Amino acid sequence: MRAMIIDDSRAMRSILRRIVTGLHFETSEAEHGQAALDQMRAGVVPDVCLVDWNMPVMDGYTFITEVRSNPEWRDVTLMMVTTESEQRQIVRALAAGAHEYVIKPFTPDAIVDKLSLLGLVPAGGVRAGDGVTA
Amino acid sequence: MTTSAAFASVSALVRRETSMVYDEGKEYLVEARLNPLAQAKGLGLEEYVARLAFDADERRKVVDALTINETSWFRDHSPYQAFTDTMLPSLLEDRATARHLRIWSAACSSGQEAYSIAMLLDQHLPIGWSYEIVATDISTQMLERVRAGRYSQVEVNRGLPATSLVRYFTRVGRDWEIAERLRERVTVRHLNLAAPYVGLGSFDVIWLRNVLIYFDAATKADILRRMLPMLAPDGYLLLGSSETTLDLPPDLAASWQREQIGRVPAYRRASAMTLSSTGA
Amino acid sequence: MNLLTFLDGASSGPSSGVEAPDLEDLRSVTEDVWMALVGEADPLLPRAVPAGAPFDAAGAWSAATTITGGWRGVVTVELDEQVARHLTAEMLAIGSADDVTDGDLADAVGELVNMVGGNVKSLMPGPSVLSLPAVAAGRAAFTHDVQVACRLDLAWRGAPVRVSVHVPHPSPTDPHTGGSR
Repeated sequence: MRAMIIDDSRAMRSILRRIVTGLHFETSEAEHGQAALDQMRAGVVPDVCLVDWNMPVMDGYTFITEVRSNPEWRDVTLMMVTTESEQRQIVRALAAGAHEYVIKPFTPDAIVDKLSLLGLVPAGGVRAGDGVTA
Repeated sequence: MTTSAAFASVSALVRRETSMVYDEGKEYLVEARLNPLAQAKGLGLEEYVARLAFDADERRKVVDALTINETSWFRDHSPYQAFTDTMLPSLLEDRATARHLRIWSAACSSGQEAYSIAMLLDQHLPIGWSYEIVATDISTQMLERVRAGRYSQVEVNRGLPATSLVRYFTRVGRDWEIAERLRERVTVRHLNLAAPYVGLGSFDVIWLRNVLIYFDAATKADILRRMLPMLAPDGYLLLGSSETTLDLPPDLAASWQREQIGRVPAYRRASAMTLSSTGA
Repeated sequence: MNLLTFLDGASSGPSSGVEAPDLEDLRSVTEDVWMALVGEADPLLPRAVPAGAPFDAAGAWSAATTITGGWRGVVTVELDEQVARHLTAEMLAIGSADDVTDGDLADAVGELVNMVGGNVKSLMPGPSVLSLPAVAAGRAAFTHDVQVACRLDLAWRGAPVRVSVHVPHPSPTDPHTGGSR
């Protein structure tokens, strides 16, 4: 399974990378939506994208609308991971085609739970103390 | 009991219950979380831990205190899947006249289980059907939380589908409050599982998950015996993922019939099962 | 000096009634963010600091993010340098706090203020936009056109941490001539 982590914060990419590699995902990273799309068009198509909202060049919301408008990428799961926690923002993201939404700050368990909900990880995949830290 | 023996004992209790591992390096956490509980009993930490073997209430508080971040929505998924895919269709057929379902969340804690069930019923019950969920717990503090139906940003991140978050909750400050129409379907009652069950009526599904472990074998058997008449003849009992009824006295074990629904063991009333297989 | 402003590690409430986050919300945001980034090992504890006192760590790192749109304000974090180093090592999985570079610190402390600021933004009237974080090796300083709306003084492993929210000052004053306030 491959995860793509799309966030302009190096620290956040580092945190998320550790969580998903702990779940045995291969990972790729991008600093914004445009860079992520470029990778996908070049053939690096992930099973799941963890996408921040606020990024330069192309934000996460726009990235999601772009991915969902391409039938070739129909099976790519899109999970927003963002500080945007207003109800209307979450509704907008889901309406644009995000499959899931995690509000920052999150614990590793929150990410695991959501990936598990999406069928990308066996339920109860990770225990506390399995080496994943926030 | 020395501090390290106390820690080992608590660590083993939590591991049995939650599969969370509190090994060395986490003593500070155990100490920090347990000191208030020990102080509330006027005991030092070691003495408090030594008494846990005899005190189910305190054992529950200890596990709650150490797993406080572990409650989640739709915990373990598969029982909820089994509920929606198998139990509910079967009950819809069998209750076609009454068109009413009663569910018991028998160790409801802060209410995520009860409201998870409510969300599923809201999604899957046909028009014209109604439901009631009775949520009981020994902790009045927890019951207040269930009544309030308010959850923190951190809590709603745990296992709750985002579509359900926006559909059933309203943001209030940083918290999220469950919709009034779900809250009014949940009846909150104080109950000690080891004490008599009075005035609760009978239920179509009883959720008794992750709580029997805190009781000794005799009390566990007593609870399961007294659960039998609480369940409708064709109802279902659900236990926690790592719990079974296998270590019960034979006559009691025979009163409960295990029915495997995918990965989920559900328990039915054995006497009723023979009847239902003849279509009665 | 007004003794009532010697609060237990926090002060809040601009004089003018400009909308601002609730102090308890700011505390809750800070604790949640801290716990997510650093874990539960050592909690953030309240620290009593006189109102108006500048951040008093011997060495400090700070970062600020500005919110504009439906609400305007600045969210700032100030950290004792050792706290900043430890936070950075945790976030970037660097083995030792001594090995973190300035670039690492800027990334980590910037993300800290981004997360706190993003949560504050979501509590205030929208829609609004969060700026990129600005990070500095040193404590924060504020111009006279803003006033403190909310300030949280905390300690982590005994070392100072401060989170503050500033809002535009409705009636600018000259501190040297003691104009109207």
